Amino acid sequence: MQRLFFNCFLAFNCLFAFFGCSEEQNFDQFDDLSVTPLVASSIFYLESDEQFINTATTLNAFYTETFNFDAFNEQFVAERLIEGTITYEIENTTSKRLNILVEFLDETEATLDFELFEVEPAPSEIQTIEVPYGPGGKSLDILATTSNIRVTGNNLGDNTSVSSNEEPKVIMRSAAEFLFRLK
Amino acid sequence: MHAQNKQLLYDFYEIPQSLMVNPGVKATEKWHTGIPVISGLSFQAGTSGVTVNDLFANDGIDFTTKVRERLLDVMNRKDDFSTTSQIEGFNVGFRGRNRPDDYYSFGMYGETDIIVYWPRDLAILAFEGNGGANIGRSFDLGDLSLRGEMVSVFHFGVNRKISNTLTVGARAKIYSSIFQFRSTKNSGSFSTTEGQNNIYTNSIVADMELQTSGIDGFLDIIDDDTSGSRRERLERLFTKKVLFGGNLGLGFDLGFTHDLNPQTTITGSLLDVGFIYNSKDIRNFTLNGSATNEGVSIVLPDDISNTGTDIWQDLVDEIEESVPFDENESSYISFRPVKAYGSIRYNFGEGKTRTRNCGGCLVNSESGQSEDFYRNSVGGQLFLLKRPRGIQGALTGFYQRRLGRSLALKTTYTVDKYSFSNVGLGLNLQAGPVNFYVLADNLLAYRNIADSHYASLQFGFNIISWNGN
Repeated sequence: MQRLFFNCFLAFNCLFAFFGCSEEQNFDQFDDLSVTPLVASSIFYLESDEQFINTATTLNAFYTETFNFDAFNEQFVAERLIEGTITYEIENTTSKRLNILVEFLDETEATLDFELFEVEPAPSEIQTIEVPYGPGGKSLDILATTSNIRVTGNNLGDNTSVSSNEEPKVIMRSAAEFLFRLK
Repeated sequence: MHAQNKQLLYDFYEIPQSLMVNPGVKATEKWHTGIPVISGLSFQAGTSGVTVNDLFANDGIDFTTKVRERLLDVMNRKDDFSTTSQIEGFNVGFRGRNRPDDYYSFGMYGETDIIVYWPRDLAILAFEGNGGANIGRSFDLGDLSLRGEMVSVFHFGVNRKISNTLTVGARAKIYSSIFQFRSTKNSGSFSTTEGQNNIYTNSIVADMELQTSGIDGFLDIIDDDTSGSRRERLERLFTKKVLFGGNLGLGFDLGFTHDLNPQTTITGSLLDVGFIYNSKDIRNFTLNGSATNEGVSIVLPDDISNTGTDIWQDLVDEIEESVPFDENESSYISFRPVKAYGSIRYNFGEGKTRTRNCGGCLVNSESGQSEDFYRNSVGGQLFLLKRPRGIQGALTGFYQRRLGRSLALKTTYTVDKYSFSNVGLGLNLQAGPVNFYVLADNLLAYRNIADSHYASLQFGFNIISWNGN
């Protein structure tokens, strides 16, 4: 009986030993995994009607504001950003020539970089400007060290004219599409 | 022995542990005792989608390409990865002295059961992001669904022969939870679409929760660098939780065996109808609310007085307020994964009158009756398991052969979500009072175990007596 017991136990083990095979596996491949999501988000929206632009008196700047913006220099973002594009769309239905200045500032509010958009009076097309960062574009360090953004709108025209368009205004839209390396 | 389909063990009444999958099985023993810790060990792992070999075969294909083509592009939210293991601490059974038709059994086992559904949309969001081609796509946050627990189970069961054709059984259980986590009722979505004012709108609607119990205690010890006896403290906490020191619960099993005629038998069982009340060492996380974001927005002249240096942080705070990520310590009830078995068996082959001291007999040996002993059985079994995303089923056809008094073999073919080619083989060997069994599933997959969608192995040793010795 004990022999039968032993033989069966052995047979079952031999069965598994014989048939229990596996192709060669290489678990180190996990190190080669590349996870690079493309993340999209709007950043900033500025809208001003022409009447407000006409009221501006300070050196033609109808708007200027510096605001804290740490989205890019968050450690998680700064360490993983590979490349990206910031897209600006500018639409002007006022009678004014304008310019809009977007400045990227560090913690001390020193200017790291800027974008200056010349905006023609209506009728004019919607301007779309894409600013690449990373390989082939501007330095990623600009984004990684940006702590503040200053937006300034300047009226390069007069302070009295009003466009015949319905609700004349200038609009600046902006969004970012960034490629990150998560792994 | 319940968190997986044990189609080989089910109604394999020569093995005492078959009582654990049907308390109403035809128990044949006078008494039995499992050899502590090695009376019942089982391990099971399943994946309904990608296999280890699909990803890690040394085939020279770029790993990221394999992940994309074999994981992201193929697997859906119903695919899962699951694992179950059980270790029987002790298992004892004996026939009532005054009521020989009753067979009592009791014992303790530990069980770990984890299932993680493939969070398809969240994986795509992490892999591809919300930009590019995914603008306009809605990512389903409800794709996140997982559940896991480790419990020790103390049980006591009664198996009673009601008549020559009917045996019923019931088992009461006390659960002591070592840890538990679940996140199964999530809903919501995240999408990035063309904006109303700005270029994009990011929208999130979330109703998500992760409930945990018993985990923090272990993590606190692991994180505690000051103690030199970390391992001892972990062992002490583990032992305490195994022995009723964890969150407690109650449950029961039911089962029956009914002979339709001398050769045809039907059986059924309902297992782990129970719950655990999680009130100690709780830590729950919630993400609940909705928000829409188009970035910082300034509309002049309305906002001329509202602007300031913190408008970005204000926006972040506003979103976090709208969709708060919170923690709480609220108690909760977790239900055990209920399982149900049913089977029909047809016995045939050369019959002979059984003796009292035999292995592999069909009827209760102490009932005093003599029934035919059939060498062959063929039949079908149905298994149903309650999972977070619905009932999971398996259909099994089986053939069982008894070779003398000492050896019984059972082979099965099972179809379920993991495999259409699951052939299993079970062996029960009786050497005097020593009983050994081994049951292995999906044998065809052993040609390349890494490419298997499902693997299961159970084995154990018992001491069995069919007489008064």
